[in-house]
This record gives sequence, structure tokens and C-alpha cells, in this order.
Amino acid sequence: MDTTFMQLKRVQLLLGLLGTLAASIASAQEPIRVGFPMILSGAGGQFGAPILKGAQMYVDEINATGGVLGRKIELVPRDTKSRPDEAVRVARELVLRENVDFLVGTFTSGEGPAVSGIAKEAKKVFIAVAPKTDRLTAPDAIHPYVFRAAANTTTEGRAAATIVAKWNIKRLATIAPDFAYGRDATASFVAHIKKLRPDIEIVDQQWPKLNESDYTPFITAQLGKKPEAVFSVICCGNFDSFARQAGAQGYFKSIGNNFIGLGEAGSIEALRALGGEYPIGVYGNTYDAFYWKPKDSEVARLHAAFTKRLSTALKDDTPPSWAVQGYISMQFLVEGIKKANSIDSDKVSTALKGLEIVSPQGKITMRAKDQQATRGMLWGKATKRDGYAFPILDGVELIDPTGFMD
Amino acid sequence: MAVKTLDNKRNRLLMATALFLGLGAVPFFAPPFYVVFLNDALIIACLSMSLNLLVGYTGLISFGHAAYFGLGAYACGLLLKSAGLPFGVSLVAAGAFGGLGAAVAGFFCVRLNRVYFSMLTLAFSLIFWAICFRWNDLTGGDQGLSGIPYPNLTWISQMIGRPDFSSAQSYYLVSLVVVAICIAAMWIIVSSPVGLMLRTIRENEQRSTFIGVETRRVKLAIFIVAGTIAGLAGGLFAVFNRGVYPDFMYWTKSAEILIMALFGGIGSFWGPAIGSLTLLLLHQETVALTEYWSFALGVILLVLTLRFPSGLWGLFERFTNTRRSK
Repeated sequence: MDTTFMQLKRVQLLLGLLGTLAASIASAQEPIRVGFPMILSGAGGQFGAPILKGAQMYVDEINATGGVLGRKIELVPRDTKSRPDEAVRVARELVLRENVDFLVGTFTSGEGPAVSGIAKEAKKVFIAVAPKTDRLTAPDAIHPYVFRAAANTTTEGRAAATIVAKWNIKRLATIAPDFAYGRDATASFVAHIKKLRPDIEIVDQQWPKLNESDYTPFITAQLGKKPEAVFSVICCGNFDSFARQAGAQGYFKSIGNNFIGLGEAGSIEALRALGGEYPIGVYGNTYDAFYWKPKDSEVARLHAAFTKRLSTALKDDTPPSWAVQGYISMQFLVEGIKKANSIDSDKVSTALKGLEIVSPQGKITMRAKDQQATRGMLWGKATKRDGYAFPILDGVELIDPTGFMD
Repeated sequence: MAVKTLDNKRNRLLMATALFLGLGAVPFFAPPFYVVFLNDALIIACLSMSLNLLVGYTGLISFGHAAYFGLGAYACGLLLKSAGLPFGVSLVAAGAFGGLGAAVAGFFCVRLNRVYFSMLTLAFSLIFWAICFRWNDLTGGDQGLSGIPYPNLTWISQMIGRPDFSSAQSYYLVSLVVVAICIAAMWIIVSSPVGLMLRTIRENEQRSTFIGVETRRVKLAIFIVAGTIAGLAGGLFAVFNRGVYPDFMYWTKSAEILIMALFGGIGSFWGPAIGSLTLLLLHQETVALTEYWSFALGVILLVLTLRFPSGLWGLFERFTNTRRSK
């Protein structure tokens, strides 16, 4: 009787101990919170929404395998409404009230540097998903907490130059919206093409304003200078109307389709929006393409698997090109946490410097030098292909910027 | 009667002082998030109160008031970041630039009445916006000017005996003092004979000319005052927001502060401040709670505007049944 009682007591004690242990584990398993400021409404929402979905897909995959450091990841998204001051407001709210451990997000080149300032103040790692402005990680603006998973204007312009350098042309023209991104990308391209092909002459440069509705005067003026090829940064939802107006004037035909469009002119979104009116034969770039068949068999396997999961997650057979940016940014963060074995931003920052990840598009390194990912873009020539409702890019190639980054 | 007015005046002064001290105490006990939120609200309240000098007091509906806020913000941001001038100088310059912009625009605008005045203020704000949007080398164009440093405010934290205060907490106190000075100046103006002239112009401009008010000159003067205060608010906001962006002077921003003023009640001195605080709070909470922030905000606005056209202040007065402040 006595012994049974003692045994019972012991069992009780053990259970009590187990209970405390379980409770302490549970508190250690509070999710790691990641603030996600992103354009989710207005014209930019068509890009921001897939980015968030891509990020969420990665988070779901990681959480399904038990999370990182035994903790789940939780995304806390906020709409920046495409305004830098609103981005600052939500970033502060995320840090001060939602107590997020990290910030991942932002879309425009105005929002990126704005949120970077808040990250610096709060000493939280911030990974920029889409802003391309060089200013984000320029020597006077960089700090230990800002990282970029996107390409930047310099690498994008230079990548275009490596393609145009192979063209048999002498007279080149440029057209870009008159705002910082348009100017910067054009400057980077022009400087690089002059280095690669000193014989090429820039015969004309047009600067329509952003969201111009009538491109006719610019198109006419440009054709008057008789260029043999055109470099374009018409972007940000403007490529539609530009391509329609230019196509109607025989612009692409008169330059023999020697046209290269930056600013995601080759994205699935742009190709789908223009459909049959998309200028066949021109070059465009994009972050991802579900139909891409990488040459490297390992990358091909990774990309095919990613595309399949994305199609399922989004219930879309032709998934958007932007999702991959959200996915890769979260991958950098989580692998950084894993390497640091901590969620302390100082440790994660150190871990991120020089970190190499195997993304759905192959290996990408977060350079220690400028905290910029060696993120290339896909480039290809628009073509019609049976089985697709809209044109797709042919001969898609991922241009690795490592060789021409500063 | 005279004694009563004096009492009234003393009461108001006491209440304003209590409000000032109460707000000043916030960073000593409130979590940092609320300090940041209140700092935002203080600056925007000051901005919409300056707009109310035109809209509520003088009957001049300006659709371009954000332009002077933006001019002040750019002036302060550029002087601090690029020229490396001290914060005090930059802030004064912000007010000066706001006032200067308002003087140029106002010179033309006050010649017109009603909708023509409104359209011209809108036109000027678009011009100022376009200059800042396109002048890439100076203003950073569409990407704006980010990374504006906090001024060194350790002297404040030391003076108040709280060396642990962050820049954000000290900056809140700076903003509070500047905003209080602006509000005091506005109060002095509207309670002076000039304030009476403004109201006379609002009620009947032709008649005020008959009784000898130089309406054009008075309108220009109040336009410049409103622009100067908007510029000061802009300067404060540039540092608070750690960056200046062309959005600050776009017409949508002008509409936003006009809505805040109307929402709070343009028939009173404090109405626009209440409107700004409430709208910022609603905005903050709806954004945090739901992705359909604009829908929720729209519904709340619709109900409040339809049910209570005299604004929140009117509602408040109906409850307290006090005499209208004007």
C-alpha cells in the first residue's frame, strides 16, 4: 500500500517535471516572426501579391519540415500602397508593435531604401525582395542589416549589354522612362556596351515620362534617327501601351526586331497582357518562366519541381514570374538563421554575408562585399509556341552577373 | 461678460497647457510604438490645422496644401543630408521655403475665387511636385531622398535626465515643442482682429471690401502663414520619416489632409487635429487587422460623414453642448 503510494507520488512528480519541460519547449517554439512590407493594392498589387505567395509557399514548406531551430516561421504581411512613407510607417509598426524578428519585402526603389533606414535604426536584418536601385547598397547607404535578393540596375544593364554586344549592328538607340530606374539602367547599359563594342554608336536617346500615355512622338523621333537596334527600359506596367503603339507604327519591324526590353518586359505578366499583340522576335527579361528548361540537369530538376509546387499552391497552370523572388528571399533568410543558429540579427547578418543557397534557379551567393545577391535574370526572345495562349520567350538563358559585378 | 470671457480664455490656456504637458509625458511611460505613432499624428495634425486657416477660417478651399509641406520637407532633408547643416537651421529653412512657395503661388491664387482658386492651388502643387519628381540630381526624383539622419539630440535626453532615451523618443519632444509653437501662433492669429477679418472674408468677401478690409492682401498673408506652418511640419516630418518622397506633395496628399480637416470639423480650431488623429488611428488599426484596409476605412468614413457632417468636433460639441468656439 505504502509502496504503491510512493510509486504514485513518483509518477506524479515525473509527470509534473515533464509538464514543465513541455511548457518550456512550447515557449521556445514561439514562431519566428517575419514582417513583410509589400505592395498589395493598386497597380503594383499584381506584382506584390505573387511575391507574397511565393514567400508564403517557402514558409509552408519549411514549417512542414519542422521549421528552423525547432521554431515555425510566421509571415506578417503589410500593404505599403506603393508609397515610401507608408512603407516606413508599416515597417515601424511591424518592428515596434508586432515585434517581428526580421523584415523581408518592399517592391519599388523608393520603398527599399526607406525601409532600409528603419532596419538600421531597429537593428533588424532586412532583405529587399525587388528594389533594383543601386542606391540601396551603395557605399554611403549600406549598413550591416540590409541585404538584397533582387538584381540591381547595374547588373541588369550590363547583362543586356552582353546580349546586344553579339548583335551585328552599329547604330543603337535607347528609350527609357524619365525616372531614376530608367536613367540608371540606361547609363549602366551604355557604359558597358561602349566597353564591349566600341564600334557601336548611340544615335538617339528618348526619355518619355513614366506612365506616358502617348508614345507616338518618341517613336517617330527615334525612327527618324534610323537606329538598327533599340535598348528599352519601358517598364512598370507601361510596356503594354508602348508595345501596342510602337507595333502599330511598324517600329519593331523597321529595326528588324533588334529590340531588348528591360524591366521585366519578358515576364509572364507582360506576355500574357499583350497576348497576340506582343512583338514577336524581341528580347525581354524576367525573374522566372514556368516553361524554362535549364541546361544543367540539377537546376532543371529543381526548377521543374518548384514550378510544379507553385502551380499547385497558386492553382495556376501558368504561374506568375514574381513568386520566385519572394521564395528566394525567404530562403536566404531561413538559411541565414540556420547558419547563424540564432535569430539574433547581428549573427544572422554575419551568416548572410557570403552565404550560398541552392535556389530553384541554381546557386546564388549573397556577396559579403556589398550584401548583394548574385541574382541573374532570365533573358529570351519572344516567340509563338503551340500549346500556349500567349507568346513565350525562346532560348531562355539565365545570365549570371558574377562576371561583371563590381 | 468681460470677466466671463477672461475666465474662458484662462480655461482654454489651462487646458492647452495640460494637453501639452500630458503629451510631453507620453515618452516617459508609453511603449516606443505609441511615441512614434503620436509623433506622426502631431505633425500631421499641425499640417491639417494650418490648412484649416485657409479652408475653415477664410473659406479658401486649397487643393494643393501638401506642396508646401513637401517643399519644407525637401528643404530640410537636403540641407541636413547634403549640406550637413544643423537641424535648427534646416527646420527654419523648411518653414521659409514653405512660406516662399506659398508666397509665389498665393500671389496668383488669391486673385481668383471659389473653384478657380482651388484649381489654381492644385495647378501650383502639381508644378512643385513635377519639379521635385523630375529633378533627379537634386531630389532623387521618384526614389526620393532616403537616409536623412536624426539630429544629435543627446542634449535633450541629458537635460530631462533620461540618457536612455532613443533618438525617436527625444525627437518626439522636439516635434511636440515645434508643433505647440505653431499651434500657439495659429491661435493668436485667429483670435486677433486679423482672425475676424478672415471670417468676414469667408462670410462675404464683397462686403468686407466695403468695410475697408484689403481682402487680397489679407488672403495672401494667411496663405503665406499657412504655407510656412505646412513647411515647418514638412521639415519635422522629413526627419521623422527618415526620408522625403515626391508623394509628400502630390495632390493625393493634399486631398488626404483636406479629408482629415473635414472629418474632424473645419468649423473649429481643434477639429482638424482630432480628425488627423482619428484617421491615422483608424488607418493604423485597419491596416494591421485587415488586408481590405481601404474598404474598411471607406465604410467608416461614409457612415461618419453621412451621419455627422459637422465632423467629429461637431459631434463632440453636441454632446458637451458648449458654445461653438467660433
